[in-house]
Amino acid sequence: MLFDNIAAAFHELFVVETIFLMMVGVVAGLIAGGVPGFTIAMAVVLTLPFTFGMDAVQGLAVMMGVFVGGLSGGLMSGILTGIPGTPSSVATTFDGFPMARAGRPGFALGLGVWSSFFGGIISAVLLVTLAPQLARIGLEFQQWDYFSLVLFALTITASLSGENLVKGLIAGGLGLLVATVGEDEINGVARFHFGNEALKQGFGFLPVLIGLFAFSQLLSDLQDRVKARQSLAEGGGVAVKIEHRKAAVAVLRRWANLLRSSLIGVFTGILPAAGSSISNILAYDQAKKASKEPEKFGTGYEDGIIAPESANNATAGGALITMMALGIPGDIVTAVMLGALLIHDVIPSPTFITETPVLAYSLFLAFFVANFMMLALQSYTLRLFVLVTRVRMYILASIILAYCAIGVFALSNIAFDIWTLFWFGILGYLMRIFGFPLAPMILGVVLGRIAEQWLARSLARSEDLGYFFTSPWSLFFLILAAFSIFFSKYQADRGRKSWTLVYPAVFMISLSLPAFMMGGPVRIGLGILLIAMGIRSLYKHHRNGWKIDPTKSDAPQLREG
Amino acid sequence: MSRLNRDVYIAIVLLLPCGVFFAATFNIREIDYGILTPSAWPRIILVALSILSLVYLVQSLRREAPEETVEPFSLKGTIAKYRNPLWCYGLFLLFLLTLDYLGMLIGGVLFVFCLLTAIGGVSKRNLIVHALIAIIMVGAMWALFTYALGVIFPQGEIITNL
Repeated sequence: MLFDNIAAAFHELFVVETIFLMMVGVVAGLIAGGVPGFTIAMAVVLTLPFTFGMDAVQGLAVMMGVFVGGLSGGLMSGILTGIPGTPSSVATTFDGFPMARAGRPGFALGLGVWSSFFGGIISAVLLVTLAPQLARIGLEFQQWDYFSLVLFALTITASLSGENLVKGLIAGGLGLLVATVGEDEINGVARFHFGNEALKQGFGFLPVLIGLFAFSQLLSDLQDRVKARQSLAEGGGVAVKIEHRKAAVAVLRRWANLLRSSLIGVFTGILPAAGSSISNILAYDQAKKASKEPEKFGTGYEDGIIAPESANNATAGGALITMMALGIPGDIVTAVMLGALLIHDVIPSPTFITETPVLAYSLFLAFFVANFMMLALQSYTLRLFVLVTRVRMYILASIILAYCAIGVFALSNIAFDIWTLFWFGILGYLMRIFGFPLAPMILGVVLGRIAEQWLARSLARSEDLGYFFTSPWSLFFLILAAFSIFFSKYQADRGRKSWTLVYPAVFMISLSLPAFMMGGPVRIGLGILLIAMGIRSLYKHHRNGWKIDPTKSDAPQLREG
Repeated sequence: MSRLNRDVYIAIVLLLPCGVFFAATFNIREIDYGILTPSAWPRIILVALSILSLVYLVQSLRREAPEETVEPFSLKGTIAKYRNPLWCYGLFLLFLLTLDYLGMLIGGVLFVFCLLTAIGGVSKRNLIVHALIAIIMVGAMWALFTYALGVIFPQGEIITNL
C-alpha cells in the first residue's frame, strides 16, 4: 500500500513541468531566504498567486520548493555578511560568519548546505513514517476533539509568539473575527457586510494573508529612511566556491550532532507554533552543552554551523507532520500551505492521508525532492544572491508591492481583493508597531471557519457541552490549551518565582487524566508514568526545600523571534 | 506620572469595534434550523475579544507610562518617522482609486515610478533609472500574468478609449 501510494505520487510529481517549476521555486526560496528582511513565510505567501492556476499537486510542490529553499537560503547571507537572511538562520551566523572571515567561506557554506540537506532528509524520513501514524491516532478524534485541538493551536501560538500573552490572544481573536465576515458556510447567511455587496462574500483568505504579512513586512523594511536606500546587504557578499566534498565528510563525521539537532528540529516543528526561528537556537544551545569543546563555539566552529542548519530544515518536516496528520499548521508557513490546500478544496484532517493518498504522498515526495534540488542549486544561486544583494531595499520593496497588487487581483479577478490587501496591510503594519504578533491572527483567519464547523457539528450531535470535558482527546487538548496560556508566564518567572516549581508536575499529573480515560494498556501505562514523573518532580523540589534555582532563568526562551 | 500610556488607547480602540460588531450580530438573519445559529459563533468570539481587551486595558492602566510616551506628541515628528510607509500607503491608495481610469498596467507603472522617486530621491539619473525599472518590472509581471496565466486585468478607460 505504501509503495503503491509512493509510486502513484511519483507518477504525479515527476512531470517535466512540475519539476521545472519546483526548481524555480527552490531558487526563488533560496534568494528570498538569503535576502535580509524577507522571510520564508513572505516568499511562500507571494508564491501563492502563481500556484492558483495549477493543480493541487503542482501548486503545493512549488510551494514546498520555496519553503525548503527559503530555509536554506538564510545561511548564505548569514555566513557571508553576518546578517541572517531569515530568523531561522540567526544561530548560523554565530560560527558561520567568523569562519568566513577567517578565510574559509567556501567550507562554511558547504557545512551549512550539507547540514541543511541531511537535516531535511532525516525529517523527510520521519515525515513519511510518523505522519500516517499520527493521522491514525487522529482518526479517533470526534467533533469535540477537533474543536478543542483548534483552540489549543490558537492558545499555544498566542503564547509562544510574543512577549505579551494577552496581545497574542487578542490577535488570535481578531483573526477568528475576520474569518466570520461574509457568508457563513454552515447556513449560508451573510454576516457583518454592513450593506456592502463585496463584503457579503467575505474577505479572500490570500489578500488578507498577503496584506497582513507581506505588505506590512515591506513597509517595516522601508521605515528606516537610511536603510531603505542602502543595498540589501551593505558591503555585500562575494561569490565563493562551495567546498562540497570536504564539508559533506565533516558533517557526516559529526553525525551525533547532526542527528540530535535534526530531531530537535523535527520535534520543535511538530509542536504547533514553534517554528524554525526557535529550533535553530535550541539546537545550537544543545550542541554547545553536549560539546567537549564548548569554548570553541562562536569562533568559527564546525558544530556551530551544523546544529542550527540541520535543525531549521528538519523543522519543516515536523511542521508538515502536524499539518498533514491533524490539519493544524505548525507555523506561519504551514498555515499558508494549509490555506493553499483549502483553495484547492482539500481539507487536511486525520483522514487526509487515507482519503487523498496521492496528494499526501506527492507532498511527502516533493519535500524529499526539494531537499535534493536545494543541494544541487545552492552553488548556482549563490551568484544570483550576490547580484540581488546589490539592489537597494526600496527598489525591491516597491516592485514587490506592485507584484502584491497584481498577484492578489489575479486570484479572483476582482478589485475588492486589492482593497482587502490595502486595509489588511495597514492593520498588519499597525499590529507590528504596537507589538501584536501576526502569527496568531493568521492562524485565526485560517482556522476560524474550521473551528466554527466543528463546533456546529459537535452541537448538532449533542447540545451537552460536557462532552468537551468527558471526551478524552478533547480534555487532553483543553488541558494543553490551559497550560499553554500560562507557559509564557512560566518561562518569564522560571528561576525567579516558586510557583514555577510545581508547574511541570501539575501539568504532567493533569495530562495523566485523559490518558487514563482513553484506556488501553499503553495509554494507562503512559498515565502512570506521567503521574510518577510529576510526583518525582514535586519530591525533588520538596527535598531541596522549594529553593529556586536562578540559573534556570538563563535557559533559552521558547519564543518566536 | 501619567497613567495613560499608548496601550491604554489601543485597548480602548479595540473595545470600540467589539461593540460595533456585537451590535451588528443582531442584524444577522436568524434561521429556524440548526443548533449553532449564524450569530452565535461571532458572539462567542466578540465576548472573548472584549474580555481580553478589558484585561489588556487593566494591564495597561496598572503599568506606568514609559518615559518616551510622556514626551509631547508632535505631528511633524511622527510624519517624519513614518515618511516612507506613509508614501507607500498614500500612493497605493491613489493607485486603487485610479485603477478604473488608468488600468493595472499604466497605474502599476506610475505607482512604482512615483514610489521609487518618493523614497529614492529626485535626480536626473534617478528619474531615468526609476522609470526604466517601473516600466520593465511592472510590464514583465503584467505580461506574465496576462499571456502566461490568462488573467484579464482592468484595462482602464484611457486604453479602452484609445
